[in-house]
Amino acid sequence: MSHPVSPEQEGQESAAALQRQIAENQRVIDQLNRALARKNEEVRIIQQISTEITSTLELEQIMETLLNAMEKVLGFQHVMILLKDHATEKLQVSACRGYAASAVGAEVAIGQGVIGVVAERKKMMRVGNIGVSVRYLMAVRENLQGAGQAGLAQAPAQLPGLPDAQSQLAMPLLVKDRLVGVLAVESPTPNAFDELDEMLLSIVASQAATAIENARMYRMVEQLSRLKRFFSPQLAEMIVAGGAEDPLRTHRREIIVVFLDLRGFTTFAELAEPEEVMGVLRDYHAEMGKLILEHEGTLERFTGDGMMIFFNDPVPIPNPAERALRMALSMRACVQGLSTRWRRRGHDLSLGIGIAQGYATIGAIGFEGRWDYGAIGTVTNLAARLCGEAKGDQILVSSRVASELEELIEAEEVGPLTLKGFYKPIFAAAVLSLKPNAAASD
Amino acid sequence: MGVLPDEIKPALQGVMPSHMATCSLAGEPNVTTVSQVYYVDSDHVALSFQFFSKTIKNIRENPYALAWLIHPGTLDTWDLEIVYDHSETSGPVFDAMDMQIEAIASMTGMKGIFKLKAADIYRVISASKTVGERLPLAEIDTAASAAQEK
Amino acid sequence: MIPDSIVEAIHGAAVISVGTRDEQLRATHTLVVGAVVHPDREAITCFVPEQRFARIQNNLTSNGRVTLAVSLLTHEAYQLKGAYLGSRPTDAKDLAIQELHRAKLLSTMLQRGYPEAIVRPFILGFIYQPGMALSFRVEEMFLQTPGPEAGKKLN
Repeated sequence: MSHPVSPEQEGQESAAALQRQIAENQRVIDQLNRALARKNEEVRIIQQISTEITSTLELEQIMETLLNAMEKVLGFQHVMILLKDHATEKLQVSACRGYAASAVGAEVAIGQGVIGVVAERKKMMRVGNIGVSVRYLMAVRENLQGAGQAGLAQAPAQLPGLPDAQSQLAMPLLVKDRLVGVLAVESPTPNAFDELDEMLLSIVASQAATAIENARMYRMVEQLSRLKRFFSPQLAEMIVAGGAEDPLRTHRREIIVVFLDLRGFTTFAELAEPEEVMGVLRDYHAEMGKLILEHEGTLERFTGDGMMIFFNDPVPIPNPAERALRMALSMRACVQGLSTRWRRRGHDLSLGIGIAQGYATIGAIGFEGRWDYGAIGTVTNLAARLCGEAKGDQILVSSRVASELEELIEAEEVGPLTLKGFYKPIFAAAVLSLKPNAAASD
Repeated sequence: MGVLPDEIKPALQGVMPSHMATCSLAGEPNVTTVSQVYYVDSDHVALSFQFFSKTIKNIRENPYALAWLIHPGTLDTWDLEIVYDHSETSGPVFDAMDMQIEAIASMTGMKGIFKLKAADIYRVISASKTVGERLPLAEIDTAASAAQEK
Repeated sequence: MIPDSIVEAIHGAAVISVGTRDEQLRATHTLVVGAVVHPDREAITCFVPEQRFARIQNNLTSNGRVTLAVSLLTHEAYQLKGAYLGSRPTDAKDLAIQELHRAKLLSTMLQRGYPEAIVRPFILGFIYQPGMALSFRVEEMFLQTPGPEAGKKLN
């Protein structure tokens, strides 16, 4: 049914329609202007962020600057920077904004959740429907369990972040296709992020990745040069790469300590020419050094003819006592060879060795500018004293080591010995030889 | 400028479930809920193929379908006439969908179980707001309804 | 015969839509606001807004194939297929059913924690009058809950 319309009415209506159209046009123009202003402003901001984060090599400062910009300038309320831990192959929250401080340190396994999948695929992801999707899949999961296929399902991943996150935008931090970490923003609102956010974050992320990687590299080089003073280059690199804990951090561990020195060295050093003494020491150190490396011992220090070697630190190894013993036996045989040569030149030198086992506190000892890696504990004293007691060509082991190596060695009891620094007399054992079956496996 | 206007993009984020109407070659219509119709470009959308279903079967024999979408902002509903074009099992569209599904699957303990088989790519023939189905947002009196309940 | 579980779903807090198709086998989708199962449990009448009905009237009279998708908020879902019986404008009794359907859907969604700011205008914004009552005879029923048994025939 049609209604009769007067021309006047029609005129009013079209005027009103025109008004509406003008208002609508103005709205669109304003919107475009706002979008354009936002874009210009953002380009400026991104340049500023870039300048700031690349001007420092301090990792903490880089992340702080980044988070500040993300929060205050770009307006992201919940931001996380996760870095990949090369040792655990997991991501770890390294800095964040808009979360409890306890979020720092939380881990995400590669492949778990939005952030974990972004790390796995090295591609960004924007999701705006987490709540709905999770609810849907939980229903599917229930149905699977109802159909007796429960065994297939795993426990849902426990992830750091907002408990009610609806939207997430996560960017991989890549340096030449290698994953450094993930930069992620979240929101409790569905569809919170759009393509513009995606673009902004991807620019920030690529700059952040480079800055973070440079800072990490710088820190690594510093750490490496510090460690190389104490450890083999391989071990130092392994520690820096995260394959071993920093041994300079004080820690407690059960170790085997081997002490050795040359009988007759003091007399020899007094009587011989210094060049002769240095020559003997060079041969001796070279041979001993080779055997230490071969048996994976850690040389803690050497002073003239004396050496102290650890086993089981900084890297725990299997059968440390056995390795120590086999090294000691090789050293004894080696020095026997050397001393024949020395004797021809008129020097009477032979090797004495002491071995003990026990807990020690290990780490950096010293003061700024002169740190050393060392062990403190009765075990080092005992090994030193046993070495002092040992005659030429003798290997004295503590009763603890003797019982540990019972199956391997022929030994005879020595003692009781009264040792300096030990309240009670001590029994030890002198190692004669390896048992035939143990020798065969050597 | 393609068939899909920019304003429809929020409806292609899976915030509100979509419906999908298909028809078998024998002439039997079918309607299902789909959690997300994905935006590919202004002329294409994608649907995830996870389980073999009536929808998948229908589409393979008769490619015409209608996707019904809800815009999470305006709450307008849209009809999209779409036609199945091809399936992808790799490439950027597949990857993006696969990543999203894998992320959610791991969050629900379904990693490896709930998986994307393929991204089914559809060409959009037309996209229009439904007529006579929704009141404009401004005309919905939520306050009165809420008050009435109390 | 429609089983109890499906009757309960249709009369409960379900999102329901009706599908038809034209002579070129192109399907349509129409959201339903309220539906009732007939006492004989062999047919269903569902209510759709008049303007949306106009779109599918030809489909109904030319081939009469109808499908009803019923989806609960728990993701439990059913699909009922059958043949068109007839249609008429909705009356006061239908309207009461529709009001009840809207109220149930709204309260259940709120109970389940869906955000009120979206759910309330979403449910209330569906036009339902003037409406048309569309009846069809159910021939086949399928389970459509996502999972391993989806697509299972129920009759």
